Amino acid sequence: MTAFIHVFHSEWLKRKRSFASTLVIGGSLFTPAVVAAVRLIHFRGLPAIYAADAFWPNMWQACWESMAIFFLPLGAILATSLITQIEFKSNAWKQVHALPISTAVIFLTKLGVILVMIFEFLLLFNAGMYVSGMIPAIVVPGVPHPRGTFTALPLLRENVLYFIDVLPIAGAQYLMALRSNNVLVPIGIGFMAWVGALAAVSSKAAIWWPYSYTIIHYISNKPKGARFASYHQLHWLAAISFVLLTVISYVLFVTKKERG
Amino acid sequence: MYALQTSDLHHRFVNHDVLRGIDIQVPAGSIYGFLGPNGAGKTTTLRLVLGLLQTQQGEIRIFGKRFDRERIAILRNVGSLIESPSLYDHLSASENLRLMQLIHRCPASRIAEVLELVGLADTGRKRAKQFSLGMRQRLAIAGALLHRPELIILDEPTNGLDPSGIIEIRNLLMELNRRDGCTILVSSHLLSEIERLATHVGILGKGKLLFQGTVDELRRCRQEVLSIRMSTSDNADAVRAITDDGIAARVDEEEIVLPALTGERIAGLNRMLMARNLDVYEIRTVRNDLETIFLNLVQE
Repeated sequence: MTAFIHVFHSEWLKRKRSFASTLVIGGSLFTPAVVAAVRLIHFRGLPAIYAADAFWPNMWQACWESMAIFFLPLGAILATSLITQIEFKSNAWKQVHALPISTAVIFLTKLGVILVMIFEFLLLFNAGMYVSGMIPAIVVPGVPHPRGTFTALPLLRENVLYFIDVLPIAGAQYLMALRSNNVLVPIGIGFMAWVGALAAVSSKAAIWWPYSYTIIHYISNKPKGARFASYHQLHWLAAISFVLLTVISYVLFVTKKERG
Repeated sequence: MYALQTSDLHHRFVNHDVLRGIDIQVPAGSIYGFLGPNGAGKTTTLRLVLGLLQTQQGEIRIFGKRFDRERIAILRNVGSLIESPSLYDHLSASENLRLMQLIHRCPASRIAEVLELVGLADTGRKRAKQFSLGMRQRLAIAGALLHRPELIILDEPTNGLDPSGIIEIRNLLMELNRRDGCTILVSSHLLSEIERLATHVGILGKGKLLFQGTVDELRRCRQEVLSIRMSTSDNADAVRAITDDGIAARVDEEEIVLPALTGERIAGLNRMLMARNLDVYEIRTVRNDLETIFLNLVQE
């Protein structure tokens, strides 16, 4: 366990100043920043919006639309591919495999860093959403503080479920990024798979497509998305497909004849 | 006691045997020069030794332990640099070493020590992508030395270094070997470099180990007279006379080439040619220099 923590720390440092870590911060704060900017520009209608009882659920829906459909899946595609590709880009796989650590620890710590970065993505997004909701009330005269409470438990539950729903994307991207020494391959395939998810989401078969779970989750939360309400096992499917993809990745990783 | 020992090491890439029964024996405390022309199989051997390639046939032992059974315990005592440096370009020199220091769990103070050793102490926050090839090579060497390993494996460590950098790295390795007693395995295709640095040499050619021994043993081969070359006023007539005298002679590039002979025999030949009114301009012995030995070995 101590070895795992040290290797994880080492892996965590590798993301410092990397494009992937910049992307996590930029991508997670983009939507809250745009929402805040738009509200500040159109400030005349704000008093009515802020007086609404359902201010925070409405804010949540407004921010999550672009997050669930666009930023979260694409963020996972890019962050996973870029973090994994750091070793190829640095010609460092051979050095990593010549260190006194087991192949399992190498595999799991790198995956761990990716998952923590996705968690960080969600955390920053939530913090950004709260701040963007509060800014107009602070800076625009006449805008009241939002009504209704910022309830933590449903928020936490939704975040955990979105995190589970994005895991298959991270799993699939990790599998591809470990196999290819060209970063464009996993990113290109991931992007096409995401476009496929957008195209397939109107079909019931979308439930079997790992890249579609965050989108289905968002649609299911809307009144018009009721057709997905029966898919209460969506999150289980996401978790199972992530585990399967991770096991396949691991087997391919440890049985590689040439390392680095 | 051998720091590294391979037995009957074979490796085959698709339709091509890269290694054909390599038996390397690197004595503990030595500097072992692993010589061979490009494509001889040096890097493949080193990659097998570090577990970067799966062993197909043969056995690798490091400090007496089988690598396939005790990989992690062995690698704790091994520092390596294989081919081009593995550096994270977006990180500084000390950050690159910090990644390894965390895994080796050696004192953080070692980072500054090894940076000082390789002459990179003043690079500060400069990122590795701004380093010259020589600086990158030094940083990679610093990484190999970080945890004070007992065995250091360096594949072409002076690649990209200028002459003064080569001398500095050579002196550094010799100092480490002398002071800490660590074993150093250095591969190179440059004979002169290995001759100046190593105590032991292994010469690899076409996937086979052609020579293994101390540098002194290799130097003794050097002292052996390979041939005698002679120049006369009429080489063709001289060759006939020498051949009649029972010595195999031939003309090569306007010189007569003779096999190795004793001093008395050479003096006798000189008298005989003079008696035939042939002027002898020059008689010289051609000794086998290290380069000739090396080339002869790898071209056989």
